[in-house]
Amino acid sequence: MAWILSKDRRKIYIRKITGFWEEFRIKKIGMFGLVLLVLFFFTAIFAPWLTPYDPMAKTRVAQIFARPEWITIFPQFADLPTTQRLTPSWHVDESSPFIKGWGKTAGIEYEAETMENVELELTYEFPHSTLAPNEFFIGFTWKATEVQEVEYSLKLMISTPEEKSYRLWIQPNSQEAGGAETHIESVNPFLIMSLGYAPGTDNIGNIIFSQKGDYTFSLIVLFRPLSKNAAATLEFRDADVFLAGHVHGILGTDYVGSDVFSDLVYGTRVSLMIGLLAAIIGTSIGLLVGVVSGYLGGIVDEINMRIVDILICLPLLPLLLALVAIYGKSIFYIVLFIGIFGWQGLARVIRSQALSIRETAYIESAKASGASGFYIMIKHILPNVLPVAFASMVLAVPGAILFEAALSFLGFGDPRVPTWGKMLQYSFSFGGFVRMAWWWILPPGLAIIALCLAFVFVGHAFDDVVNPRLRRRR
Amino acid sequence: MRGYLVKRIAVSLAILWIVATLNFVVFQVVSPIKPLAGIVDPKFTPEQKENLLNLYGLNDPLHVRYSKYVVNMFTWSFGLSFQTMRPVIEDLSWRLPVTVLLLGSALVATILVGIPMGILAGSRRGSKVDVATIGAGLFTWGVPIFFIQLLFMMFFCYYANLVFGFALFPIRGLYSVPPPTNPFAYMADVAWHLALPLITLVVGSFGSWALYTRNLLLDALTQDYVVTARAKGLSERTVLYRHAFRSTLPPIVTMITLSVPGIVTGAMITEWIFTIPGIGRWYLNSLMAADYPVIQSVLFIFAVLVIVANLVADLLYGVLDPRIRIGMRR
Repeated sequence: MAWILSKDRRKIYIRKITGFWEEFRIKKIGMFGLVLLVLFFFTAIFAPWLTPYDPMAKTRVAQIFARPEWITIFPQFADLPTTQRLTPSWHVDESSPFIKGWGKTAGIEYEAETMENVELELTYEFPHSTLAPNEFFIGFTWKATEVQEVEYSLKLMISTPEEKSYRLWIQPNSQEAGGAETHIESVNPFLIMSLGYAPGTDNIGNIIFSQKGDYTFSLIVLFRPLSKNAAATLEFRDADVFLAGHVHGILGTDYVGSDVFSDLVYGTRVSLMIGLLAAIIGTSIGLLVGVVSGYLGGIVDEINMRIVDILICLPLLPLLLALVAIYGKSIFYIVLFIGIFGWQGLARVIRSQALSIRETAYIESAKASGASGFYIMIKHILPNVLPVAFASMVLAVPGAILFEAALSFLGFGDPRVPTWGKMLQYSFSFGGFVRMAWWWILPPGLAIIALCLAFVFVGHAFDDVVNPRLRRRR
Repeated sequence: MRGYLVKRIAVSLAILWIVATLNFVVFQVVSPIKPLAGIVDPKFTPEQKENLLNLYGLNDPLHVRYSKYVVNMFTWSFGLSFQTMRPVIEDLSWRLPVTVLLLGSALVATILVGIPMGILAGSRRGSKVDVATIGAGLFTWGVPIFFIQLLFMMFFCYYANLVFGFALFPIRGLYSVPPPTNPFAYMADVAWHLALPLITLVVGSFGSWALYTRNLLLDALTQDYVVTARAKGLSERTVLYRHAFRSTLPPIVTMITLSVPGIVTGAMITEWIFTIPGIGRWYLNSLMAADYPVIQSVLFIFAVLVIVANLVADLLYGVLDPRIRIGMRR
């Protein structure tokens, strides 16, 4: 490879590139596209720093179809709350000899002294001053160890400012050690029924938190000793209350309540990668076929051009869908297939250029001095057609991006990566339109448009500079 | 002329045969998903499996299957569907007209909007129409048609439903359920159902036509014969339509042919979004069920559509371009 990088060569290339940049710089639309592209690359590279959520984990961050947070500047949405997360810190009203610790982790060490039942109450009071959440989740871990000759039961209550009380959870009488990570969901139909409401029609998040004021969680522990030796140790940890917000983040949430913005940001990576890789594959094949065909001519040329004719006749999307359906919905195959079916047009252009270069005097003199065909193709023809191929590559990127978006939208995308097409597919299939979730539908579509147009702008400006025929027309 | 036609048809048939063969190789020879995998239940007895394989002729040696397949394709009888066990042609015969109706009207409407806009832009270079045309052309490059369709659907169906209490256009289907009995009412109903898909297809693709026509016209307007025509004192109108635009027709016809694969693709996504029972939607459903006979037939029909369009364009080219017309006569 040394001859490519020889000192004189390098000088020539540097001069060429600076010259090119001087000409490109004055194209306003090209520079605008370039700035957009830089922004997209920045987003793709720094995705993990731009958003704290991993889009594939589908973390619950607010209620389903939560609106964007900035919408609260409009008066009709002004009092919509964001997600509230509480980490209860337990409090004890009456001192009891059994309660050994309280706060974030509460511990109870019970030892019977008399045969009387003992009821202990741990409370957590918090103010609620916003609109009622449509959904809430409560999670905590409880553990009972060293249980001897005692029957214990646990329950979690919530009382409202109006002194109404709801039983959210109960652990029935037990005489054995146990424990669990407990999750209480407001959408659980059994919970809704146990409170006397109808699942599907009544929303207990709305009902319980309808008042503004001080709410109290109480964790009630009841010990029924069976003998004088009764003893037990109980522990409560990791209590976590999640009052789902009506609004969330920059772009709200989707049908499972996960962040739309992080989907969008990570989607940039996939779209850019697919677009660039597919365009590189397609351009390489087109370049190879075009140069070889144009330089060698004859039977090779004839065969190549007939293949091009056939490929141009094929409707690509149905074919790609079939190939992806058969060989697996993987990003690797999608890139590969878009690449190997996207070189026909370029091959024709390069071939015609190679044909005309072949007839020039310097090729003739190279041949006369004994240069091999391979050497001429690499050293004389390739550098001449490279700028055109590069411009065509930039212009091929939006095509590949749109193709992938269409594939994903039709449900043939890679299920393991977040893409913009998939966001549109999900919003189309899972109620985004019925709920008018414009914050979920518009961003991926607009992002596709912006990215494609950025490449189109840069590509056209590039083409203007390197393609003399176009330059003359202006 | 006749010699040219015969040669052209022979080449088309050869390409069609290659496409059909590729189809066969991809789906029946190298495909990792075995035929019938979608419908064979593990509970089937070996005998039942054998019967199924015999029914579809899958036990025959490869060359027998291949020759049967090629004959099937070219005689327009596409075998049995794996899913429905009915001949593919039965479903095809009522689905194909739906797609052709959608495709054809979309193509005609796009041309009727795009080309006049291109002429207007080209004849008034630098005007607002010209700028709008360039914008529309770029728009077509970067905007996925399915996103335009989703947007239109969001506003005219779902948003209208919120605001007015009814959707301006139906969200899905080709006709109301139950369909109107009066034939005129039925036609109006179908037109109402196809309106939104059609409008969105036109909006999504007229820009490239307008821009292409504009560029061709601008090229033509700088030619010497246009200068001559003007020098002769012909009216600007005559110069524009009889001299400049006339010469852009052959490349426009080529553009029409080259756009057919794209339109097939667009129609497929459109049918998917608007739940129109054409062959595009059928194809997608069959892909998900690995129904090879249907997939092969639809791909073959798409290829036929494209190749016929190519053929027609070539012949039209001859009619439109006097140089080729005379060349063919010799």
